[in-house]
Amino acid sequence: MEVSKNSFKTLSEPVKQFGGLVGIIILIFLTFFVLNNIFGEGDELVAKMKIEEERIAEERKLNKLISSLPSGVLVSFDGTDNFKLSDELYEAVCKATKLIPQRAIMGANFLNFRAHEIYTINGNKIDETFVKWDDEKNKCFAGFVVSGNNVGVDETVKVSGEALSFLSTGIDTRVYFIKNF
Amino acid sequence: MKKLIFFILFSSLITSLASARSTGCKEGDCDNGYGKWVYTDKTTYEGEWVATKKHGQGTETWPNGYIYKGEFKESQWSGIGILFFPDGSTYEGEWANGFMNGKGTFTWSDGKQKTGIWKNGSFQE
Repeated sequence: MEVSKNSFKTLSEPVKQFGGLVGIIILIFLTFFVLNNIFGEGDELVAKMKIEEERIAEERKLNKLISSLPSGVLVSFDGTDNFKLSDELYEAVCKATKLIPQRAIMGANFLNFRAHEIYTINGNKIDETFVKWDDEKNKCFAGFVVSGNNVGVDETVKVSGEALSFLSTGIDTRVYFIKNF
Repeated sequence: MKKLIFFILFSSLITSLASARSTGCKEGDCDNGYGKWVYTDKTTYEGEWVATKKHGQGTETWPNGYIYKGEFKESQWSGIGILFFPDGSTYEGEWANGFMNGKGTFTWSDGKQKTGIWKNGSFQE
């Protein structure tokens, strides 16, 4: 011990300073390593951040696509003067669409009287709407859920069908026609 | 601050006036007679009116592509009429209270047909 103390004293000043610097750096690294193990979420946090970054990137991509679409009615079928969506655009628009306006709901209700009754009785209130892309069928499905008390009976009706047309407002897209027949 | 409030109020007024000008009875007589009414969501009705209600022959066009041509009673689709769905499918036949009620033919856009009795939009086997 005494020997090592003496040999340390014999070291030149720059070597001592360098050793001290290396020691401080190791101490800092160790401190962060210990703190990260105690408070950090490590891989889980990195994975979450990666998912969030991917989601934001996907959302930006969809927003860019939507702003590039012409305003007006977009359809997935032939035989109209409206803008015809390509297969790729149809999928992208489906994935970007969240809203279902009243006329699309009223149209779907033509083939579902129970849903129409509950919808009307409850002041056109909708519990839930959904727009989903089906990877297996390569189709876009949209629908809504209405519930309420109809002549003393609590009822919940789900209406769903293929979303075949959309409205592009320039800011967002909306389901315009649900084919539920 | 006062300028900002004035600008907001003025903009609201202009928007309301523009909206009011684009909706309502646009042509003809929408009380008793023949007229065209435009709704705020751009739905239009052109046809006969009795006591401010859609009554008689008329055509209602929804902005999303539904078009009903036929008879109206008390502003509802009632009588003989044809509904064109946005994808080209149609229902032609009897209507009551705004729904397919009675005898009618539903034709899908691919040409497939179903004829028979309908009750509140449902085909009766």
